[in-house]
Amino acid sequence: MSGGIARGRLAEERKAWRKNHPHGFVAKPETLADGTVNLMIWHCTIPGKQGTDWEGGYFPLTLHFSEDYPSKPPKCKFPQGFFHPNVYPSGTVCLSILNEDSGWRPAITVKQILVGIQDLLDQPNPADPAQTDGYHLFIQDPTEYKRRVRLQAKQYPPIV
Amino acid sequence: MAAAGAEAEADEEELEPLFDYSRVQPTMAFSFDDTDIEKSDIFVHCNKRSKVADGDGDANADEKGDKGEQKAAKAAAVVDLGEEDWLPPPPPPKPKSTVTDESEQSNVLKELRLQKQAMAKFAESADDFLEKLAQTARQKVEARIPTEHIDLDKSPERHEAREKVVVTVQDKAGHHQFRLYKDEKFGKLFRAYAKKVNLSVADLTFAFDGDKVDAESTPEDLGLEDEDMVEVLHKTR
Repeated sequence: MSGGIARGRLAEERKAWRKNHPHGFVAKPETLADGTVNLMIWHCTIPGKQGTDWEGGYFPLTLHFSEDYPSKPPKCKFPQGFFHPNVYPSGTVCLSILNEDSGWRPAITVKQILVGIQDLLDQPNPADPAQTDGYHLFIQDPTEYKRRVRLQAKQYPPIV
Repeated sequence: MAAAGAEAEADEEELEPLFDYSRVQPTMAFSFDDTDIEKSDIFVHCNKRSKVADGDGDANADEKGDKGEQKAAKAAAVVDLGEEDWLPPPPPPKPKSTVTDESEQSNVLKELRLQKQAMAKFAESADDFLEKLAQTARQKVEARIPTEHIDLDKSPERHEAREKVVVTVQDKAGHHQFRLYKDEKFGKLFRAYAKKVNLSVADLTFAFDGDKVDAESTPEDLGLEDEDMVEVLHKTR
């Protein structure tokens, strides 16, 4: 039952996304080798905000939805070892709106999740660190932190 | 009667009557025997009466006969009534039913006449309609002949089969909607957009779902639906 609810909601999310979404963002369900679509896993792209050190980067993010979605939030993962104070070494994003016990609400859309993570990129939350590397540089060496961010943006160039 | 007359004569012999009733009435004989009186000539009128009674009797007989007939009639009537009771349309109601039938028939006839008139009108209008149809058909055929020739050059069958799709092109400034055939190459859309924003196609990249859209591909190839969003990225920077 809940799986049906999750898939129904995700089908609606995808439909809405195709018609309208913020510029530069990508969000599409996984397509398997046999051509079938897996609505439970979405491959997304979050563009670095203009005017920030993240600009020019198109960061891949994968959303893992459970059968309990939208009662529970999806797990959002950047590639392993992604440089950001609030991203776990596994790549999992630590964000209040993605926490079932704090900010998550079933009404939050995929678009809102992706825009929320885009905001997080340039506005890390030092109160809630998820990795030592990014956190320490952000607190102790802003210049090095800035260089690392710009470097990472170049690692994820646009498709052009 | 003869015996009564003899007795009266015998009475006359025994007693001289104080008053000779013979003057008043030729024969006077009192007898309390009703039967005798009835039978004596003195009461001829009685006899007559009896005769009358007889007549009455006859009349009664006649009446009886009548009654019999009446009874028969009544019986018949009863039978009739019975028939009336048991069988819905017996002799008495028959005329009524025939009357109602006549009225009903007249109503039916009226209706039939009206229907006939309506049908006649219908037929007329149908004739008119058919004529008009024939005329319009002729006109259409006449009109179609030259257009068909033009369409043949453009392969009309393919023209009808081609579906159009509305594609939203999104750039940083906003949205532009374009309508193109599903089997039409994106190159045409790219050129149309470039012209609209006054840029060169060479400087633009179009993407759908994060994948670059090839100018040689078609909406059908990408499985585009109405109002699907294609993004524009500027190459140079």
